[in-house]
Amino acid sequence: MAIDIPTRTDQLPTSATRFIGKAVNRIEDPALVSGTVEFIDNLSLPGMLHCAILRSPHPHARITGIDVSAALALPGVEAVLTGEDVERWCDPCFTAPEGWGNYCLAVGKVRFVGEPVVAVAATSRYIAEDALELVQVEYDLLDPVCNPDEAMAPGAPLVFENRATNVIQSRTYTWGEVDRVFAEADRIVSRQFRWNRVGANPTETFGCICQWDLADNSLTCRGAYQTPRFMGIGRAASLRLPANKVKIISHAQGGGFGGKGGPRGTDIAALLSRKTDGRPVKYIEDRMEYLLAGGGQSWDRYYDAAIALKADGTVTGFKVRLVDDQGAGAEGYGTISAAKPLAAFTGNYRIEAAFYDLTLVATNRAPTYPYRGYGPPPHNLVLESLMDVAARELALDPAELRRRNYIGPEQFPYTVPSGNEYDSGNYAGVLDRVLELADYKSLRQSQAKARTEGRLVGIGVVSTVEPGVFDWNAYATVGVPGVGVPEGVKVGIDVFGGVTVAVGFNLQGQGQFTVAAQVVADYLGVEMNTVKVTTASTDVALPHFGQGGSRLGVAVTGAILGACEKLRGIFCRVVAHVMQTDPEQIELLNGRLQMKGAPAHGMSIAEVAGLMLSRSDLLPPGVEPCPEASFVWVSPNRNLPDDQGRCRSYLTAAAATHVVQVEIDRDTGQVAILGYYIVDDCGTRLNPASVEGQLQGGVAQGVGAALYEEYVYDAQCQPLVSTFVDYLVPSIHEVPMTVKDHLVTPSPIAPLGAKGCGEGAIHTTPAALLCAINDALAPLGLECRETPASPRRLWQLLHDKA
Amino acid sequence: MSNRKTIRLTVNGRHYEREVEARLTLADFIRHELHLGGTHVGCEHGICGACTILIDGSSARACLTLAVQADGANITTVEGLRNRETGQLHPIQQAFVDAHGLQCGFCTPGFIMTTLELLGENPDPTDEEIKEALGGNLCRCTGYQSILDSVRLAASRINTATAA
Amino acid sequence: MKPAAFEYHAPTTLAEAVGLLARLEDEGCDAKILAGGQSLMPMLAMRVARPDALVDLGRVPGLAGIRLHDGHIAIGAMASKRAAELSELVRDKQPLFHAATRLVGHQQIRNRGSVGGSFAHADPASEYPAVALVLDMEMVATGPDGERVIPAAEFFVTYMTTALEPGEILTELRMPVLPARAGWAIREVSRRSGDLALAGVALTLRLDAGRCTDVRIAAFGVGATAIRLTAAEDALNGAAPSADRFARAGAIAAASLAEPMSCIHATADYRRHLVRTLLERSLADAAARAG
Ligand SMILES: Cc1cc2nc3c(=O)[nH]c(=O)nc-3n(C[C@H](O)[C@H](O)[C@H](O)COP(=O)(O)OP(=O)(O)OC[C@H]3O[C@@H](n4cnc5c(N)ncnc54)[C@H](O)[C@@H]3O)c2cc1C
Ligand code: FES
Ligand code: FES
Repeated sequence: MAIDIPTRTDQLPTSATRFIGKAVNRIEDPALVSGTVEFIDNLSLPGMLHCAILRSPHPHARITGIDVSAALALPGVEAVLTGEDVERWCDPCFTAPEGWGNYCLAVGKVRFVGEPVVAVAATSRYIAEDALELVQVEYDLLDPVCNPDEAMAPGAPLVFENRATNVIQSRTYTWGEVDRVFAEADRIVSRQFRWNRVGANPTETFGCICQWDLADNSLTCRGAYQTPRFMGIGRAASLRLPANKVKIISHAQGGGFGGKGGPRGTDIAALLSRKTDGRPVKYIEDRMEYLLAGGGQSWDRYYDAAIALKADGTVTGFKVRLVDDQGAGAEGYGTISAAKPLAAFTGNYRIEAAFYDLTLVATNRAPTYPYRGYGPPPHNLVLESLMDVAARELALDPAELRRRNYIGPEQFPYTVPSGNEYDSGNYAGVLDRVLELADYKSLRQSQAKARTEGRLVGIGVVSTVEPGVFDWNAYATVGVPGVGVPEGVKVGIDVFGGVTVAVGFNLQGQGQFTVAAQVVADYLGVEMNTVKVTTASTDVALPHFGQGGSRLGVAVTGAILGACEKLRGIFCRVVAHVMQTDPEQIELLNGRLQMKGAPAHGMSIAEVAGLMLSRSDLLPPGVEPCPEASFVWVSPNRNLPDDQGRCRSYLTAAAATHVVQVEIDRDTGQVAILGYYIVDDCGTRLNPASVEGQLQGGVAQGVGAALYEEYVYDAQCQPLVSTFVDYLVPSIHEVPMTVKDHLVTPSPIAPLGAKGCGEGAIHTTPAALLCAINDALAPLGLECRETPASPRRLWQLLHDKA
Repeated sequence: MSNRKTIRLTVNGRHYEREVEARLTLADFIRHELHLGGTHVGCEHGICGACTILIDGSSARACLTLAVQADGANITTVEGLRNRETGQLHPIQQAFVDAHGLQCGFCTPGFIMTTLELLGENPDPTDEEIKEALGGNLCRCTGYQSILDSVRLAASRINTATAA
Repeated sequence: MKPAAFEYHAPTTLAEAVGLLARLEDEGCDAKILAGGQSLMPMLAMRVARPDALVDLGRVPGLAGIRLHDGHIAIGAMASKRAAELSELVRDKQPLFHAATRLVGHQQIRNRGSVGGSFAHADPASEYPAVALVLDMEMVATGPDGERVIPAAEFFVTYMTTALEPGEILTELRMPVLPARAGWAIREVSRRSGDLALAGVALTLRLDAGRCTDVRIAAFGVGATAIRLTAAEDALNGAAPSADRFARAGAIAAASLAEPMSCIHATADYRRHLVRTLLERSLADAAARAG
């Protein structure tokens, strides 16, 4: 029987929602503020050993000898793992596209600085690190390829010698009549941009405890796992185990935002456990390891892009050539980052034709991984910067140019040239609201006045679409197979009426446990504090994915609604049987199963559950004594892409417009953010406080990417950023306190009308800041086209001019 | 002299005597010897502030202190704030819950301990003073706005409570 | 990121500490002094410092006083930066030193980090060495042969290197009280608030009958150690304060810098320009403060 998932809150079996849509306190918070949540490093198991990893100091070298004898002789050291073991026991990790993966520990050669070479298990981390100092590794240095130009030069050294090239993928996409619209354009605006590498840097690094059961030949991994099932499948493949022999127990995580060094760290700890007769081995990635080689470095990009316009400012075409430095292979799925922009290639605009020329290149930098937004933030920066250049050339206000090109509210569902279908939106409404909120006119007036004083004040008005609720089909073009990302939950009611929701993921910060409790409490008419949300390990969990792709809040809502609908069906049958009537005569309302038209006759949810569990004699035939239901939600109506990558991929399209005013200090190059205003529209706001939190957190990361953060490599491919002294995560002083408002244009197709919004402002903030900076520089005829727009860069620009 | 030493100290009102290796950091000691896991470690080199605790009433980075340096000290960690009897949260903790001052919560103990020191010294801080005090704690999730709100809320509640 | 093993000593008198250091040196043991640990601990954790032994001054009494003595302010090397920040004496009598202290890191760092530790550590990006040059501070070192006083101009030798001999302990810092009606200023540019400076300038001056006198300027964050900007001082002494003059002094200072450091956050040219800008702005601050 098909289950209909409510897309509106008024379809819920309650006269008024009590929790959904309210800024309720999060159920995860009391334990978090008390310091009692079991992050992985808080856990110790009996007999546990500690792992430390020796990493390559060279970007590219052949390993000619490893001597671990002194390390093994150190008291407290129980095992040492080298490439020899790994080659015997493992396969390189799988990648998309296939065949660009490394082993968890270098076999034969190293491909980037920080690549694991030797690992030690010892009775303490201190001793394990002592042992690393006793390991001797001999290297034969190879020439590195440090950037795409070098990597694509004829005769360049090969990062993967079994491939004849360093180009992982090179292809074009043509959507619509691009050549014609560019030929017929009244104006073409083109620019090049350089987006330097940034990264996730959650406050907690990766950690795990792995235990190999030698009798059963199975593996149990506890750790900071964001996508447990996916991780389990990957480990099974690389460790040559059947997938059902790998059990992942996900612990709460201190942030994720994409990657931590999970896959390699897990494999290494697992193999050390195997080498020590099954003792549990803990590996805690430290911050320097994270910065050198942990997952999360992202978006190392060279753009060359153009838009075509009509004289009235109508944008008709958008061309992007992207060369993306993936680093040493595709182990981190950085490739997906370049494919994801297809989901919203042309942003908020009615652009009829587009073209994407994409080249993914392997170099001897660290491999790239996902980072919040997973690709579109730089893409949006390119499109929005071009819009601003066009506005300047046409002497149009940038807000006005955008307005002229927006997809109209009546045009939804709207299929963008790159194939995805936007569900709903009101972009002009968002713009109007934010211009009002910011008092845009007076911002422009204060800018004009500042300019007469010689001050460099600029304003950015930037609109973006956030594709929400990802689907695998979005990444098919880089080799990810499949349609449909499942998210499964089980909702059960115990004999006393307590509700338990079992999910496949654990806490990471976005508040999905609270969303789960809100939805289930409103549906079943119970109090939120009677709801327990718990994480199932992968051996028993339903198919699931977990956090990622601005998806989980919506997906878990859908899954819970599905499970609740099933429960309602069962309960109606039970109650009907007891009342000797038809199930159709029974309805669920405000937590009671009652007779339609005679609400006094009925039972509470708790009573029904109690009855089911204790009076099997009263159950109708065919109903099990089980007041539980599970449901695996998947985005409805997704399809396979065509040869140009076009498909319905991301389910929802949230939108936002940011207005920011900045001032550049001419002499120091520092950027001060004078005011920051946001209006967003992500449909139904399940928990407005959580939505705002996601937004503001995205602003902080956007500020980091636009102004502060950068993984710098020197000309020999040595990373120059390996500590938080140099990787500049913004502090409370650097992040603006934003003024926010929102519109609500519900999704007509997503559960309760909510749109994915977890990635939030990182889509918009970097573009908004760069546009504001360039607006400030405009009177000087200067443009900054590289991120981060650090003081040194801006000063250089200003100085070269002077 | 050897590289081990016996230390005596008070943590959250309890006395401990332990023999420790001289190189053991206070963060590792608190977390792994005393099993107080609320003091988190985000960088181990003094930048993130996740490990902030109070040593003799003053905020300090537990990762930049050796356990042996804490011999004789009186230490407060986040576990020391809740009412032991009732389990009731400290007003600062409650304010972080109520004002949504956390997401993943990994940085939160550090922010709470810094706030404890701030409000002890300055019960009615301005926004600028709050920012100044919290400048040494990094949060990757919240963008700080709700943290600022939480500290304001905590201050106003504590002030109302003491005025009453 | 865990420190390598070391022996740990916690002497309880200065004499014991001095004796211990001498003995360890005789034994060929690489001993390091531990003060607040705010610079040493990260180096230990990264194992870029691998001493055989640490001598912790934390239990040596009498090294943390802040007092007025013979017309100058004497700060014990082990006084915390927070103590200096909270000291009314420092705030009222030596506001430049006070302002510099408030620029150091964050409160958690200032609570633990000693004043002396920053001088001994001699990080070129630290505010203190520049302030020491401007104020002509004196460092008191105690070694096996007793006390000696080292003027700031001789104390900072080069990158993270001071005139302290192995076995010598920095015990006290002395600085004059700011003369009445003197102006002072300190400014820096750092990437984030609280970070070590990319460049900074500290200075004092007096205005005498509408002319600048006793101008003393030093820059930090630009060279291997803090640098006195004497050419700029010369250009100002005797001159009437004016925006033009200050701009000229900035330009002269920038030109006088031989080869500023370069790093990922700031090139040499950028640093040079920062010194120019910061000096110009600081001179205006100081002139405004001068009575
Ligand atoms: C996040 C952060 C931000 C910071 N920001 C700044 C900043 O903006 N400006 C700034 O100046 N500093 C900054 N610092 C450094 C900080 O000020 C340190 O406290 C200071 O440099 C060292 O003082 P300490 O007492 O901690 O010394 P320690 O770390 O214990 O010692 C430092 C060095 O000095 C030696 N030493 C210490 N005391 C003596 C003594 N009495 N005699 C002889 N040798 C001695 C030690 O052997 C060691 O080599 C920052 C540190 C951190 C972690
Ligand atoms: S862990 Fe101590 S400051 Fe980051
Ligand atoms: S809440 Fe996650 S780091 Fe602050």
